[in-house]
Amino acid sequence: MYGIDDMLGGGIPEGSKVLYSMEPGVDAQLFMISTLYEALAKDLSCLVILPHTTVDAFLHDAETLRGSRMDTTGKTIVFFDAVDRERIQRYAKDRKTAAREWLGRINKLCRETRIDIIFGYFDIIYEDFGLKQGIELLSSIQSRNKPTIIIEHLNFEGEKILKKFIGEMAFDLVISIPSSSRPFPHFNFFTILHTSWSPQPKRSVPFMITAGRIIPYIPKIVVTGPPESGKSVFVAHASDHGLSVDRKGSSGETTTVAMDFGWLHRKDFDITLYGTPGQPRFDPMIQVLLKNAMGVVLIIDATKRDQLARARHLIQIITGLKVPLVIAANKNDLPGCLSESEIRDNLGIADTIPVFSISAQRKEDVLRVLESLVDFITQFLY
Amino acid sequence: MYIYKSWISLIDDAAGGFEAASNILLLGPSMSYAEQLAYALVKPLPGEYSIVLSTNERSAEVVDYFKFAGIDKHFVGVIDAITKSSMPSIADTQRLMFVTSPTDLTGIGIKFSNMIESIFEGTFSEDESGLFPPPIRFCVNSISTLLMYRRLDVLYQFLHILTAKLKKIEGIGVYVLNNESFDDRTISLIKQLMNLVIEVKVEGNDNFFRVTGIRSINADWKKFTVTKGQVTILP
Repeated sequence: MYGIDDMLGGGIPEGSKVLYSMEPGVDAQLFMISTLYEALAKDLSCLVILPHTTVDAFLHDAETLRGSRMDTTGKTIVFFDAVDRERIQRYAKDRKTAAREWLGRINKLCRETRIDIIFGYFDIIYEDFGLKQGIELLSSIQSRNKPTIIIEHLNFEGEKILKKFIGEMAFDLVISIPSSSRPFPHFNFFTILHTSWSPQPKRSVPFMITAGRIIPYIPKIVVTGPPESGKSVFVAHASDHGLSVDRKGSSGETTTVAMDFGWLHRKDFDITLYGTPGQPRFDPMIQVLLKNAMGVVLIIDATKRDQLARARHLIQIITGLKVPLVIAANKNDLPGCLSESEIRDNLGIADTIPVFSISAQRKEDVLRVLESLVDFITQFLY
Repeated sequence: MYIYKSWISLIDDAAGGFEAASNILLLGPSMSYAEQLAYALVKPLPGEYSIVLSTNERSAEVVDYFKFAGIDKHFVGVIDAITKSSMPSIADTQRLMFVTSPTDLTGIGIKFSNMIESIFEGTFSEDESGLFPPPIRFCVNSISTLLMYRRLDVLYQFLHILTAKLKKIEGIGVYVLNNESFDDRTISLIKQLMNLVIEVKVEGNDNFFRVTGIRSINADWKKFTVTKGQVTILP
């Protein structure tokens, strides 16, 4: 999936156990569907267990969600669906018999096939067999290799059951998609709660669904800095679309009096940029614009040492917010630029804050800064 | 606070109707007027919206009921858990959405959220009234069917979320449950999620109802009938 694979260090390792945990009402079935589409595109053989629906209805729903028909031509995909479950329910006297019949039926379906990935819609499995037995059932499906297990689960039990998946069930990847506390959401977000193969901390990323794809979304990156450091140029060159509210200043140059606004799609993320004015008289407004920002680019004019005091003041405001910050030292195409060490010494910033030497006139420089900030944001512990 | 007219003179005269954020359990035996009464209670007034989760009949039949009751169908949405099992490729529309079976609580939850969202965004109907928050009447017909497909504890958790969401959006919910098919424990557990209970009973050929939970109304049985969506209390 766009952007998410990068956050996971390249994707899901073979043989992993993966949980997509959805809270009720969250329209996030596309996580599982997207993974299935990608698996088929890579010619991996798949078993799909969908005890809540029929194969035809599932394929139609998947096509509607994804916007394209599932390409099963020449692919190996087998299904266990609601019809199979009902048939077993009719004569299985108890849970143990039912589990045996489920396994028998699934193993029969898979007999001729090397299954790479098992996709399981877990609600009914959980209800029929419980958590431990349900996972055991999926894990004991006979295959010539150790298949990856990916399940989607409707979570009524909150963190308690997620902890069980991570601890007792030893799942390798747990992604939770919570529901909004508002009557309807501006955007949803997912939280990568646990990855067994990487030490990355828990992190949450908003997402939008566009054209059948899950697009990670950064709703606010703020671009700030001293006056005439090149913020508006930065936003203009970064954005696919945008606008700026400028007036001619006392120096004859234009100056931002409200804000710059830009939108771009980069590194598989949709990003909205807010550029602030630079003069100290706009500080109250800068603080408003910084509210709920997911990251900040502080731009300085690297040829003007006298701007650094203003930059230090802005850094003080930003560090109080505990959001990822990168510094862009602009105008490196002009003579007399400060070096990185001079900038660091003067601003008193930690080594963990990256400093980029750029020219905001060059789009590739601007995008390099934003890509770095996106990486920073997806790994930042808010 | 918004007051939803109940369409039952006894309730509207005494209390003005149902307060916003009410969840109402409608208990009745099979072959009674319980279902018609539930639909009558969720008929939208101009400016209001209705959403019906139907586990018993097709969306076309639900929409017909409202049409015959003189209601503009553009303000009625149906989540249909019946039709898709025989027509897997049936597509959702703005006001008619489909899940394969009452088993699919994930799908039901998503369709419910999507409908609420489209009402709040003003895209549900061509002729929006502009009331905010938009008054929404929601009907589950029926909990009995859902209970046949899912375990009580799972369904309780699901209904807990639905009723809470209805409260948050200041809507009202009417939930039909056949009180002959389930034990007292089941009924009392479901009752915990409700503010009001309306019971229906049948004696001979006559239907009676009584209301519990509105102080200004006594809990005596009233004889009634429902014709074309109109509830009439009989002497």
